[in-house]
Amino acid sequence: MSGLHPYTQLALAALLPALAWLVPGAPAPAITLGTAVSLVLGTPRAPRRLAAVAAAAAPFWVFLLLLHPPARAALLGLRLTTLLCTAAWLGAVLASGRLVEALVARGWSARVAYLFGGTLAAVPLVRAHARRVSEAQRCRGLASRGGLVARLRAVHALVLPVVLSVLHQLDERVLALETRGLGAAVHRTPLDPPGDSGAQALVRWGAVAACVAALAARVA
Amino acid sequence: MTPVLSCDRVSFAYGGRPVLRDVSCVVAPGEAVAVIGRNGAGKTTLTRLIAGLERAGTGTVWVGGRDAARHRADELARRVAVVFQHADQQLFARTVREDVAFGPRALGVPHRESAIRVAAALAELRLDDVAHEHPYDLPAPMRKLAALAGALALAPVLLVLDEPTAGLDRALRARVASVIRTRRAAGCAVLVVTHDIAFAAETLDRALVLDGGAVAFDGAIAELCRDPVRLRALGLREPPVAALSRTLDLPGRPVRIDDAAPIVAACCASGGLPYIGESHGQT
Amino acid sequence: MTLLGLERVSFWYPASDRPALRDVSLRVGRGEIVALVGNVGAGCSTLLSVAAGLAPRVTGGRLEGTVTFPGPGTTGEGRALLLPVPWTQLSGMGASVRDEVAFGPANLGWPLARIRAAAERAMAGAAVAHLADRDPLTLSGGELQRVMLAGVLAMEPALLLLDEPTAELDGDGAAALWALVRDEAGRGAAVIVATTDLDAVPVVAHRVVWLADGRVRADATPTTVFGDDAIWRDGPGGPTVAEVWRTAGLAPPWPVSVTMAARAR
Repeated sequence: MSGLHPYTQLALAALLPALAWLVPGAPAPAITLGTAVSLVLGTPRAPRRLAAVAAAAAPFWVFLLLLHPPARAALLGLRLTTLLCTAAWLGAVLASGRLVEALVARGWSARVAYLFGGTLAAVPLVRAHARRVSEAQRCRGLASRGGLVARLRAVHALVLPVVLSVLHQLDERVLALETRGLGAAVHRTPLDPPGDSGAQALVRWGAVAACVAALAARVA
Repeated sequence: MTPVLSCDRVSFAYGGRPVLRDVSCVVAPGEAVAVIGRNGAGKTTLTRLIAGLERAGTGTVWVGGRDAARHRADELARRVAVVFQHADQQLFARTVREDVAFGPRALGVPHRESAIRVAAALAELRLDDVAHEHPYDLPAPMRKLAALAGALALAPVLLVLDEPTAGLDRALRARVASVIRTRRAAGCAVLVVTHDIAFAAETLDRALVLDGGAVAFDGAIAELCRDPVRLRALGLREPPVAALSRTLDLPGRPVRIDDAAPIVAACCASGGLPYIGESHGQT
Repeated sequence: MTLLGLERVSFWYPASDRPALRDVSLRVGRGEIVALVGNVGAGCSTLLSVAAGLAPRVTGGRLEGTVTFPGPGTTGEGRALLLPVPWTQLSGMGASVRDEVAFGPANLGWPLARIRAAAERAMAGAAVAHLADRDPLTLSGGELQRVMLAGVLAMEPALLLLDEPTAELDGDGAAALWALVRDEAGRGAAVIVATTDLDAVPVVAHRVVWLADGRVRADATPTTVFGDDAIWRDGPGGPTVAEVWRTAGLAPPWPVSVTMAARAR
């Protein structure tokens, strides 16, 4: 799955939620969710990813069940969970570098390509930074274990500083990447464009066709 | 006298790769120890074990009378204050003053006592005039000092600093040196992980050298500085004053600027040095 | 041949009344190594940004005076800047060190063969060839800084700008970096390096520029600049050997290195 062309990965990631929303009737969201879950199961550290999806979806389910009758709430909840689950899968398989290479190979400028790919690339860096800040806080007496309240307080103490320092570093990062030629007026040389195949192109067009068909079925 | 830090045959591996092998050392109150070694020798790992962020594979680490393996990092913060490398990127409050106050508040120090400690730490590092600023509005070297102030406010018995002088100019290094000296005089032990052997020679007494995760030397830093062959073998640069002493064969082989200066003055006066400097009467 | 010329340059960051640089004039020629020294906030990093063509183009702000760099374009090709914190400069695009180093040259649109050759050469020069297949995120600060240096060298800049390049490096790493800087200058590059490692300056640099409060207060040989008491009183001081002589109460000029101290005057 991670060997697929990034465009194919993106197409699949768009297809599942689109079908969940567009195809009328109850089975559709359940099927798409099942598909999304099985995709996630194929990724490393799948249980943790699924747990994160469940944690993110939980508050929404609570609100939905409060506001809607159970059947409708379930429908909307399944659609939403499909979206979250697909996003989790995409996060696991989409490599930012490959996406940038794919965009560049198709003729996009390096700067625009990096705008998409760069945000993904920032995730491990932000995660590593958050860990360092959390450790520094613990070494200064912030208790991170021991009960829900303590944990929430620890997370709360972490969020603002990480966001602030990411924003602060953004300026430096923009400068830093300019120094490595990102703003150059020439077209970037693709180093290792991801392989594509006729079959994958077919799958992508098929995905688009499926979405269009679903939309047509809904509107009709 | 109970040691402030006691490592007994500590080993640690990271993902199967041994990082520390059989490391033992004892640090008494008021001692100033430099932990020196190449990149990758295990210095930062040792600080993480002392801070309670990692558990030793084998052996024990006793910090301020507590077994580091049985306590969390925030519990050990009552005894040991650690300032990590890149501390300038770990500040998290809205002003420098608030950041320095974070530690004492997290430890439950009463408000008045906390305010006193914060004020003292800021004054000691001469950060009073930037205390109200947002940390990220300050240049990186000043943020490093702010992080150090935060550690001082914890009033530890053991202060552990990881590369405190990296990127600092002479004046700011002098502030760090002064803080180390006053803490030692107050009975606090200081452990400084550093590449800057020159700074270590000027400010600290003892050197603990790690090579490939094992202790390769544990003794007087002056003795280490006077041994260029050993320094080379350990991948360390000979500090300038020691190199000067050796090259000019200065009597006593001083390793500190203040020790070398009068000897150089005397040698110049007696014409014993190739590079003759004329005295102009100042001291 | 002058590669970089700053003529009476003043620079203000956006939303700031205080100029970060005041009336700075500086020329650097091929093969020259200029060390930029100064207290915190003196403007050394700003000067490097201006020299790199990044200020005010990317940073914003206002610039007065002229900056001349006879390079291929105004986009900064031909000059490269290495920042002190390696993680800031990490593109994150490279799954391996080799690809990370190739990031810069690829952005310049070179043919693939040239990119690969330049990357291999740069990695060898920065002594990170043995890390070529590693994931950059797993490297230590010192290793990553050397990789970033390779990334900058791979772009084959005519003007090499370094901001505190040895902050993350140990003794051996720093010595290797300075040797590399000398090699690059030997190959015809012009180098400006801002550093607090004043002991290395006399050994590496031909010239020292002392910046104080945005202004150039001195621009001369290491011996001349560090022999003036002013830099010790108001500025960052100087090499340790000179400090020994100064503390001893001896008159300048002071030796600025151990080698110099061992030679008869």
